[in-house]
Amino acid sequence: MYSSSIRFIFKNILPLKTPVQCFSSAPLLLSPEKLQRFRTTESQCLKHKDEHLGLFYTISEEDRKRIFIYGGIPKSFDVQTKTFNETCLMIRQPSLDIINCLRNLDYSKPVVRFVLYGKKGSGKSLSLAHILHYGYQSGFLIVHIPWLGNWMRRCKEYSNSETKEGYVDLNLDAAAWLLNFKTQNSHLLSNPEAKTSIDYVWSKREITPAGSDILNLVDHGINRIKYASDTIIALCEEIKKLSNKGIFRTLVAVDGYNAFFYPNTRVYTEKKEVVHPQNVTVTQGFMSLTNFDWKNGAAVVTVDEIAIAEEDQISHLPRYLLGKEGFEHLDPFVPVHVQNYTEKELTSCLDYYRERKWVNDYPGLDEEVKFVSDSNPYKLMKVCAPL
Amino acid sequence: MFGITKIQFFNSNLKVLSTIIQQNGMSQYPNYYIKPIYKKDSQEELIKSGEIKKLSHLPTRAALADQTSSFSNDPLANLLINYCMREGNKILARNLVEQCFENIKRLQLEKYHKTTNEEDKHQIDLDPKSILHKAIENCKPILQLTPIKRGGVRYQVPVPITDKKAQFISMKWLIAAGQEKESTVRFNLQLARELIDAANNTGRVIKKKQDLHRQCEANRAYAHYRWS
Repeated sequence: MYSSSIRFIFKNILPLKTPVQCFSSAPLLLSPEKLQRFRTTESQCLKHKDEHLGLFYTISEEDRKRIFIYGGIPKSFDVQTKTFNETCLMIRQPSLDIINCLRNLDYSKPVVRFVLYGKKGSGKSLSLAHILHYGYQSGFLIVHIPWLGNWMRRCKEYSNSETKEGYVDLNLDAAAWLLNFKTQNSHLLSNPEAKTSIDYVWSKREITPAGSDILNLVDHGINRIKYASDTIIALCEEIKKLSNKGIFRTLVAVDGYNAFFYPNTRVYTEKKEVVHPQNVTVTQGFMSLTNFDWKNGAAVVTVDEIAIAEEDQISHLPRYLLGKEGFEHLDPFVPVHVQNYTEKELTSCLDYYRERKWVNDYPGLDEEVKFVSDSNPYKLMKVCAPL
Repeated sequence: MFGITKIQFFNSNLKVLSTIIQQNGMSQYPNYYIKPIYKKDSQEELIKSGEIKKLSHLPTRAALADQTSSFSNDPLANLLINYCMREGNKILARNLVEQCFENIKRLQLEKYHKTTNEEDKHQIDLDPKSILHKAIENCKPILQLTPIKRGGVRYQVPVPITDKKAQFISMKWLIAAGQEKESTVRFNLQLARELIDAANNTGRVIKKKQDLHRQCEANRAYAHYRWS
C-alpha cells in the first residue's frame, strides 16, 4: 500500500509487565514498583527460589574480590560491571536448578557431576559464577578453574616435568591457580583439622611432612613455582581425603572442562611437539577430582565451544565436546542446558539496562532487540551496546 | 519462444532503447524512480496530509541496506559510517562507529557515576547520538579559504560555504582527529573522546575551526577577489 521499502515492521506495543516480587530496593530513579520487576534485594544465594527467576541480585564488592579476583567473570561482562558501577547477576533457571540440587544432595553418596552446556553466549560461565557464589556463601571449599582455555590454549609458560617422564608442567599458571585457590578459601584453610596425610618429598631438602597445614602446602607451591604443578596434584588428593573425612564440603567448578579432552592444544614439549592435555601434569589432579570415587562434594563443569580450536567448533552438545573419553570419564552426570533468554528474562534484562541508563529507550525497543539478537544474552549485550 | 524473441529485440535495439529510457548515471534505476520513504513517522505524516495517494503508485527504489524503519536508525550516523569507510569495507566501518558509540556511553556513564551532585548528573548527556549531533553542529565552520589566482599570486580568499559542505568538513575533521593518535589507542576510543570534547565545545576539532575562522578574519582584505 505505502512504499515497497518498509523493511521491518514492529508493533509499538510494550509488553505487559506484572510485578512478580514483593521485595524492593530503590537505588536509582525508577519507582520502586518498577524496580521490583527486575531486581531483588536477596543477596543471599541460599534463599534464591523460583520466585526470583529472571531477577537481578547484587554481588557485594567483598564477595567479588574474594571469589572472582583472578577470573571467573568473563571479560566482556567484567567491563559491563565496571560501567554499571555494580556487579549484578541474573538468577536463571539452570543455576537455580543446580543450587536446588546442591541444597538437597545426600553428601554421603559419591559426588554428583553437573555439566552445563549450551550455545555460545547463552550464559554458562555466569551461571557457574552464580553457583560459585552460592558455594562460597554456604561454606563449600571452592576448587575453581576460571577458564581452562587459558591453560590449554594460551598458557603463559610450559616446561618438561622433572618428576614425571613424558609430562609437561605449566608452572606460572599452576602457581597463579594456587594463589586463586588460597584467596577463595582462606577462611576455610585456617581450619586446624586441615592437615596433610602423607609426607611430600619435593627434593632432598624440601619436605612437606605429614600433619602440616594444607595452607603450608599451598604456600610452598606458590613460593617454589617449579613444584607448583605437583603441588596441585598433591592438593587435589588431600582435598579428596579431607572431604571423605567430612572436614570440608567441596565444590569443584571448571569452566571449559572439555579442553581436558581436546587433543589439539597449544602446549608444547621442549622438542615443540603438541602435548595431549592428559599429558599436562595439572590435568591429573582435576581428573581425579571430577571422578566419583569420593564423597562429600559436588562438581559443576561447563563444556564450551570456545575452549577448543575454532575449526572444531561444530556442536555445543556434551557428547561432541567431551569426546568418547571425556564422556565416559564423567558418566553418569547431570546435563543442564543453558538456554537463551525467555520473554521474562529479556524484559527484565532490558529494564535493568534502562535503569542503569545503558540504553536510550524508544518505543518498540524490546521487540526490535529481541528480533535482532535472537534472545541470546551475549548478542543482546552486543546489540544494546551502541543504542 | 516469445521470451527468446524478446531478448533478441532488446539486444538488437539497445542503442535505440537507451535514448528512450531516461538514464541516471550508473544507477540501476531510471531517474523518474522516487526515493523510498522508510521512516515510520514520515510515512504517517504523508498519510495524514493525503500525499500518500500520489506517491503510492509511483515507481519507488528499494531501500538501501542501512535504511531501516527502526527508531535507532539515524541518517547522520549512517553518513558518518560512510565517511569512515575505506575501500568499501562497510562492516568494519559500522563496527568502528558502533564501538565508538559504546565508548561514548562508557565514558559518559563513568562521569555520571563519579559526580555526586544530582543537578550535575542531569547535565551529563548519555545519548551517543545526541552527542554526535551536537559535536557535528559545533564543529561546522562558516567560512572556508579558497586559493584564487590574481596577478600571478595565489590569494587565500575567505568564502562562505553551504550548510552541507560545512557538515562534511566538520565530519571530516572529526574523523581525522580520531585517526590522529598513538598507535596503542584504538580509533573508536579516540573518536569517542573527540566527539565528547566537541559536544562540550572544547578539544582539538573546535580549535581547528576557530583557527580557520581566525585566518579568514585575517584574510578579509582579499574577500573582494571572490568576484573581481
